[in-house]
Amino acid sequence: MTKPAKRKSRLPLVAAGVLVVVLLLDFFLKSIIPDSSIRQLLMLAACNVLVALSLNIINGMAGQFSIGHAGFVGIGGYTSAVMASNLHASLGGGEVTFGKSFIVVPLCLCASAGVAGLFGFLVGLPSLRLKGDYLAIVTLGFAEIFRLVIATAQANDGTAKVGILAKIGAGLSSLGGQNGYQGLNNQGVPLYAGPFWVFGLAFVLGVVAWRIKFSGWGRALRALREDEIAGAAVGVDPTRYKVTSFVLAAVGAGIAGGLMAMMRDGTPTVNPDNYNFTASFDAITMVILGGSGSVTGSAIGGVFITFTIKAIELLQSSSVVQDLKRSIEGLDLNALRMIVYAMVLVALMILRPEGLLGERELFQKKPTKAPAKKADQA
Amino acid sequence: MSDLVLQGVSKNFGGLRAVGDVSFTVKDRSIFGLIGPNGAGKTTVFNLITGVYKQDVGSITFAGKDLKPLKPAQIAAVGVARTFQNIRLFAQLTVIENLLVACELQKKAHLAAAVLRLSAHYEDEEQMNERAMELLRVFDLQDVAEEPSTSLPYGNQRRLEIARAMMLKPKLLLLDEPAAGMNYGEAEGLKTQIRWLRDTFDLSVVLVEHNMQVVMGVCEEIHVLDHGETIAHGNADEVRAHPKVLAAYLGEDDEEDAPRAGKAEMA
Repeated sequence: MTKPAKRKSRLPLVAAGVLVVVLLLDFFLKSIIPDSSIRQLLMLAACNVLVALSLNIINGMAGQFSIGHAGFVGIGGYTSAVMASNLHASLGGGEVTFGKSFIVVPLCLCASAGVAGLFGFLVGLPSLRLKGDYLAIVTLGFAEIFRLVIATAQANDGTAKVGILAKIGAGLSSLGGQNGYQGLNNQGVPLYAGPFWVFGLAFVLGVVAWRIKFSGWGRALRALREDEIAGAAVGVDPTRYKVTSFVLAAVGAGIAGGLMAMMRDGTPTVNPDNYNFTASFDAITMVILGGSGSVTGSAIGGVFITFTIKAIELLQSSSVVQDLKRSIEGLDLNALRMIVYAMVLVALMILRPEGLLGERELFQKKPTKAPAKKADQA
Repeated sequence: MSDLVLQGVSKNFGGLRAVGDVSFTVKDRSIFGLIGPNGAGKTTVFNLITGVYKQDVGSITFAGKDLKPLKPAQIAAVGVARTFQNIRLFAQLTVIENLLVACELQKKAHLAAAVLRLSAHYEDEEQMNERAMELLRVFDLQDVAEEPSTSLPYGNQRRLEIARAMMLKPKLLLLDEPAAGMNYGEAEGLKTQIRWLRDTFDLSVVLVEHNMQVVMGVCEEIHVLDHGETIAHGNADEVRAHPKVLAAYLGEDDEEDAPRAGKAEMA
């Protein structure tokens, strides 16, 4: 922002506090919250915050429209799952310990970020020529191709020629196809990412997202969203900024996906169905609900949607709904989620078209605002 | 020498010849007028210079550098800044942010430095804020620095666009109808401002303008286009007396009132 640069920051203090809290949580969350499904929900919310923060870079700041974010999340998820399983085996297997997580988690997440970032670059390239709906379809196509390739890959049955494609097919089929990847020898993916990693990284990457938004780069990206021709005329190259925004968003999504795959109390499998269009749509809802372009808004949206989805799931298993299902033949309970969801979105678009926060932020300081107003009155 | 040289530049849009075989030279530190009736191809020439379009034939060089292979952002980096006929501000950004965007090229600290909050980032931001505030004071916009840019009245938006262009430290400033919608007094002020800009920042100015009061009053050289083709070139007096100009531009419809007023003014 335009406020005079403040070098004194409370951040080191806050960071130290967060570090202590997440360390304690890693060891004691189990005793604080004995119900593993609630622990899972909380950690899933933190991961979804990362998904929303990363998508916000494309959909909020750059003003592009990606509806295939789950593809990047999935690439990150599979990369981490495979790598964690192999690392776990080469570390001698056995117990998943906090100490070992310091080797496994950073390596896996770096790999997830790298691979997802690479795909972000590839998907970002068409964004130079395509806009709006057309770009949205490219991103959707990418996510669906990724999901279907994994789900339908089959090992070589010996009839096909051995070539590079056959090798790729064999490699992909070892990812478990439609049943999902369940670790080496189906032992399950080792769940190394405890609350320390999940909540800690949610905090760190939240700060990074905030700084990206208020950096000169973020400002230039928002300027391009408003007017590309004027942006180029003042030296902001649309190509570079747009592709970079896709890469950064994919990297964030890759990390989020990796965390989800290795999340303690989560399921020890990664399944292609976790990364379908509904997941992409959830991510968009988080960003729009919280406010496109707002970092804190996206984070709130991420938490809110995670809880909403859980609440709808609970509602589906409630006795009232179950009775209803028994009384009406062919009632699709999954449709219920979409209906509630749609109602929330429609209500929001009517009441607050710009989302909860719009492009504003919570905790945003505006020191220069006051004198400007005074000058207005004078 | 930062001369802008156009040689035999042509541009067709489908079957329509927007610019045909136009050649002129804008000398370093001069104020150059590009005039002509509506649809004469003036703005297209600007778009060709700034790389929004590429010419079909001919060459455009600035300071000896061929601009054709460069992208718009790279042309801005060479020192060519412009304003737009239909104001193009970054609507959701504040006034000062509009200026700061134009600093991206001069920044030493990049995204990583900003994320890590290295001291280079703070130095950059401080320097840029200072320069932006200085320019806002020059254009008398300092009091609205934190306002959304679109909340400004029309005239201020025009000046903000010039301020944003100046943020690039340009050697050549292209102004597309800066006097549009201005009254007599404001136009007089604009004349002074254009000269002041040239003298203070050592740059050349190319002016596309319908307001003859401004064009005749401030331009040292004037180039007249009609239907994309050159019909006259010279100083204010020569152009004013040129029969083709009179026929194409001054002598026809109701638009003549304004030019004639300008002419009377100058006489």
